[in-house]
Amino acid sequence: MPDDAKTAAAPTTVKKFLEAGKKRLSLSLVAGESGLDRQIREPAINRPGLALAGFYKFFPVKRIQVVGHAEFSYYMSLPEDLRRERMERLFATRVPCIVYSRRRKPDDAACALANKYSVPLLRTQMITGPFANAATIIMEELTAPRARIHATMMEVAGMGILIEGPPGIGKSETALGLIKHGYALVADDCTEVRRNGDGSLVGSAVPLTRFYMEMRGLGIIHVPSIFGAASVRGEKKVDLVVTLKRQSECGDEIDRTGENVLYRTFLGVDVPQVVVPVAPGRDLVNFVETVAQEFSLRLSGQIAHIDLDERIKRRNVQLAQ
Amino acid sequence: MAEEIHERKMTLLNRYGMHVRPAGLFAKIASRHDAAITVEKDGNSVSGKSIMALLTLEAVCGSVITVRAEGPDGEEALDDLEALVSRKFDLPDEQ
Repeated sequence: MPDDAKTAAAPTTVKKFLEAGKKRLSLSLVAGESGLDRQIREPAINRPGLALAGFYKFFPVKRIQVVGHAEFSYYMSLPEDLRRERMERLFATRVPCIVYSRRRKPDDAACALANKYSVPLLRTQMITGPFANAATIIMEELTAPRARIHATMMEVAGMGILIEGPPGIGKSETALGLIKHGYALVADDCTEVRRNGDGSLVGSAVPLTRFYMEMRGLGIIHVPSIFGAASVRGEKKVDLVVTLKRQSECGDEIDRTGENVLYRTFLGVDVPQVVVPVAPGRDLVNFVETVAQEFSLRLSGQIAHIDLDERIKRRNVQLAQ
Repeated sequence: MAEEIHERKMTLLNRYGMHVRPAGLFAKIASRHDAAITVEKDGNSVSGKSIMALLTLEAVCGSVITVRAEGPDGEEALDDLEALVSRKFDLPDEQ
């Protein structure tokens, strides 16, 4: 099966981590600004307690280093000259960045070292444990493989649905109808997908054009301004792909029973696909809504064609006796 | 039968780059052709017939975009699009 969207996981930079964590991690930059373009080559957190004690064997130099309550207390317990020496050694390893948690204030010596070695020194209000968890999630988001695909994405009946098809076939009109039915738009015409660490595929809009939509004949509209805040959604796991295809191009490949589920592969993730022949006048809105509800049922284990098949087979066996 | 893919690099010359008006004109010209048209910048490849998709490229004045056209009228489509881009989308304020 061809993979329709492939992009390698890219290492992220301290700058991007800082931007993403400004609100969510209450991160701020204290010193070492010149090192903001430094790459974080391992999306993980390390607490450099052993390093501050002078032990550098197996030191994970590619990770974000977090100085928490324990590290800070140990560091402050050292005589001043040793303190400086140990801190300098930590900076000299050129870790991507060092974060002081729990509102600890880096001393002037640490700030000077951050500038000297171009290693950004950051601060957070958060307690170390929750910070490490939240920072790991943000790092996973930043380094997840991502790609842009030509599809509109909606949340329908709790399911994340990519609607794809050739230009002008009615993706946006279908989305608009679904919005009128009370469902939410995730992205119009261009959806950014990323693969999370747990193997799930998540879709969202490209920030610059988020929630704007092109309606042929009308032009560009801003969906939440017209339909309200509930008509849009920031991101959603991709559960299903609905492919709109001109009926003239479909031939007899259309599945009539629902037994042969097709799959589309994005970033190595297989997503169930429903191919919909589009004929003039077909009500795509109700159709897509029903597709979403049916797949939601199937996910919960109730599969209509199997149930019906069982029922008929049981009856036929009885009648044949 | 696999169609030949025609490809051309184009540089945006108008002042504000790929904003709503130029994207609209580009998508309109692209839609006149049967060829499947994609536009790529910085590794992101999107449909050349979609305004919203073109806007997500975040292409500015001086950006180089790679336009690909697949189909019998692909070469012709690229000619038309290249002419549009090089005329700075005929935008009077952005010449």
